[in-house]
Amino acid sequence: MPGKSRGSMDLTLLITVLILLAIGVTMVFSASAVSSVKNYSDKYYYLKSQGLYAILGIAAMLFFSKVNYKFIGKLAFPIVIVSLILLIIIFIPGIGYGAKGALRWIKIGPVNLQPSEFAKSALIIFMAKSLSFKKERVKTFTQGVLPYVMLMGLYCILIILEPNKSMAINIAMITFLMMFAAGAKIWHLAIWGFPLIPGGIYMLTKDSYSLARLTSYMNPWADPLNTGYQAIQSLLALGSGGIFGLGLGNSRQKFFYIPEAQNDFIFSIIGEELGFIGAVTIMILFVLLVWRGIRIALAAQDSFGSLLATGITCMIALQVVLNIAVVTVSIPTTGVTLPLISSGGTSLLMVMSNIGILLNISKTIKANGS
Amino acid sequence: MAGVSVTIKKRILFVLISFFLMFFGLIGRLVFIQIINGDDYLKKAVDQWTKDIAIPSKRGIIYDRNGKKLAVSATAYIIYGRPAQIKDKATMAKILSEVLEMDEQTVLKKISDNKSNVLIKQKVDSEKVNQLREKLLENKLNGIEFVDDCKRFYPQANFASHLLGFTNNDNTGQDGVEASFDKYLNGFPGRNIVMTDGHGDELPGSDRKYFEPQDGLNLMLSIDEVIQHFAEKAIENAQIENKAKRAMAIVMDPKTGDILAMVAKSDYDNNEPRKAPAEVADKWATMKDKEQLDELYKVWRNPILSDSYEPGSTFKIITSAAGLEENVVKPDDKFFCSGFITVGGHRLKCWRSYRPHGSETFTQGVQNSCNPVFIEVGQRLGKEKFVKYIKAFGFGAPTNVSLPGEASGIVRDVSAVGPVELANIAFGQGITVTPIQLITAVSAVANGGYLMEPRIAKKLIDNDGNAVHEFEPRVVRQVVSKETSEVLRGILASVVSEGTGGGAMVPGFKVAGKTGTAQKAENGRYISGKYVASFVGFAPANDPKVAVLVVIDEPGGSSTFGGVIAAPVVGSIIGDTLRYLDVKPQYTEEEAKKFERPIVKVPEIRNMNYKEAVKELTKLKLQYRLDDDNNPAPESLVLDQTPKAGAEVNEGTVVILYAQSVAP
Repeated sequence: MPGKSRGSMDLTLLITVLILLAIGVTMVFSASAVSSVKNYSDKYYYLKSQGLYAILGIAAMLFFSKVNYKFIGKLAFPIVIVSLILLIIIFIPGIGYGAKGALRWIKIGPVNLQPSEFAKSALIIFMAKSLSFKKERVKTFTQGVLPYVMLMGLYCILIILEPNKSMAINIAMITFLMMFAAGAKIWHLAIWGFPLIPGGIYMLTKDSYSLARLTSYMNPWADPLNTGYQAIQSLLALGSGGIFGLGLGNSRQKFFYIPEAQNDFIFSIIGEELGFIGAVTIMILFVLLVWRGIRIALAAQDSFGSLLATGITCMIALQVVLNIAVVTVSIPTTGVTLPLISSGGTSLLMVMSNIGILLNISKTIKANGS
Repeated sequence: MAGVSVTIKKRILFVLISFFLMFFGLIGRLVFIQIINGDDYLKKAVDQWTKDIAIPSKRGIIYDRNGKKLAVSATAYIIYGRPAQIKDKATMAKILSEVLEMDEQTVLKKISDNKSNVLIKQKVDSEKVNQLREKLLENKLNGIEFVDDCKRFYPQANFASHLLGFTNNDNTGQDGVEASFDKYLNGFPGRNIVMTDGHGDELPGSDRKYFEPQDGLNLMLSIDEVIQHFAEKAIENAQIENKAKRAMAIVMDPKTGDILAMVAKSDYDNNEPRKAPAEVADKWATMKDKEQLDELYKVWRNPILSDSYEPGSTFKIITSAAGLEENVVKPDDKFFCSGFITVGGHRLKCWRSYRPHGSETFTQGVQNSCNPVFIEVGQRLGKEKFVKYIKAFGFGAPTNVSLPGEASGIVRDVSAVGPVELANIAFGQGITVTPIQLITAVSAVANGGYLMEPRIAKKLIDNDGNAVHEFEPRVVRQVVSKETSEVLRGILASVVSEGTGGGAMVPGFKVAGKTGTAQKAENGRYISGKYVASFVGFAPANDPKVAVLVVIDEPGGSSTFGGVIAAPVVGSIIGDTLRYLDVKPQYTEEEAKKFERPIVKVPEIRNMNYKEAVKELTKLKLQYRLDDDNNPAPESLVLDQTPKAGAEVNEGTVVILYAQSVAP
């Protein structure tokens, strides 16, 4: 059955991704060089690991571009089960670990696996598969909406327990985006606003720290050394970059003003070193990526492929938007990495694998399609 | 396989457009942050990256006139903490509190503060810093920063305290010459501008700007450390012996106006100016900040220039000088003291109204300190001339000595002087003066009539020993003629050799001077039992090398008379000083004979009656004389004597007796 009738994969998407990946590795190196020397006595520490993950990521992308996405669809249910198991075993003492008391990682040999990243992909695959079966029944509340919100709830509870609120919010957003894309009735979705939005607000404001973090984004200078610190440092980095930037490698904010500059706030360093021009270039590359992703979704041969492509694209787009919104202090600080750019193994492997799936779907598009 | 439904396609397109709009929104944010507000953020960022460290300049040394160090600067450190970098706060607090002698809880609170940098302690010496560095290394603790600073050190505690003053934590002079010469002593701090990382450490290879600090100039005072020592010791004893509230002395070279010594007790340790004063030490902890500060101000206050008092009889020198200069009185003019004089309907009493002086010359009047004589001299001068002389001698205006906080004293305007006021001022009441004004005026009488500006600083010296600036002696004006000065010197010498000032006699040197005992006034009324006893003198009388004023404020001992308690202090300071200055003693024939005679111990004759006392003295071949020339009743009690019991003197030495029934 796999594809004699198939076209070639979406080269624009492939090239866009590879450019972003290359920029990512470069910027991780630039942003991390200072702290690498201090913490590991090796300027290239993060370059090495990010480079390795980039190669592994390309391999994973190529691998998944060869695997028929329909085959993955068939495995949707077992994937969900595995993801739930991983999310649960994280709480077994000695298995899960993470920074500052949070349990976010599982160590498998030399590889760090982040179960919640895997869960996100598992949910997308499962929903795409399941929703594509439902057809018109998507428009019913009990079949088109309720089961997914329940599954989402299960994931979110497990992830909040880690705790990792940002990821839970992320997963909830993707769930609703996919139900929306699949054709669920708007008010079936909107009705969840009643319990979920106040619940979300409660989650974000229940303790003084969360509340302080929430309010600090409106005026970070009120508490410049504590809750407003990251926001201020990010603004100073972006602002001092100006239009043309200080030049690659010349960031000053990476000298411990922005903590772990190679992670969530890497976009600030990009803005500082490469300026407005560099920052916007990267955003345009992401726009290109999203556009190609959605194009694939629109041109896909079946609902499953279409919804899967939509889910994957939304996942990436959502992360990009949230990350840049945080970095530009447009929303309160939450821990979201910039896909393909920020350092981090699991996240990069998962994104690349998903892009591999996206590329595989793109092969089914007729040569003259769209 | 079914194709994708139109609904799905529409919805997906909607999602795509939504994302695009969000992207455009975020690009808008970037325009706002990077282009519109970019410069503003860049400025803030540069502020954050650069650290401007002040490098303290070395404060100049204060020397005495012979180059002895009175105040020096030593390297010290300011200790800062960076709470974010201090991992083990409890251990850190323990170490810091132990080494720096601070309260552990206070330290813990400081290093737990939500700030990037907290001040822990200033003025920490190198020894403690080394100790601290070792302990931090031992415990592998980070987050403590040492910044260079200076610490002022006064080698001799409680020495010329008011004169020297002290500095605050910023090395700025707060009092004394430290304050008045601050701009010379301080120098200019340098700066080191460096780029730092988020931990506050200097960035390697970043451009740094270094501005060398400019050291302060060294100050050479007119003070002579040795003479200051004489005065310190004499005044300390005088305060204790007389149970006085305060005692003070000022020693001046009358020819130049140089202040050779300046002491006021109680004083303080300049190294710890904020330590609780002894009188309030026990309740210090319970006092409010403001109350504590008030007490400290009291201790820091230099009464020699900040407090004015009624000079009493010492002011008669000024009345005399004016009278002699204006030729309204001559040394041999006859006066008659009937115990009082009526002025404007008021009976003004002589201090010895119980036993009037009777007929006397002007010279004897000065010796006797006879009030009616001076009242008459004042009347002969008239208020215009008298007030003119008072002002010419520098009263009622600051002397412009280079010390902070100088008061002017109160001198009535001519228009406010009536006959009674004129009479009062003539014998030193109804006018207030500061000790520095009085010694300066008396120096003018002593030096040939020239009012000098009191000089505290001789020169400014750079670190290579070159004089950058010399402060020359300055004549303010000539107040009286050389002749008047000479005549008055002779009269004042007779006050010591024959009159009420006998206590100031120094063998081998002719001392001139005048006693003063003034009742203190509060709220316009004289208070019984509170006196200011003083003596102002100079020597040698024919060619004065040194002038000394001693003021004993509220003496609480057996005597309150200036002649009894202040004159001997002046005598001792003058004697010590002249011998130290190698002034050749010139013994009179009488004195020379005296020194050949055997030495005897002066007996204790206080509380004996006059008759017994005379018998006792005659037995030991000592001469005696009363504080005045008249004979008291044989049964009157001897209240005091000079020299004191136990002093070793030659046979034939005159012992001065102060007999009872002497009312103020």
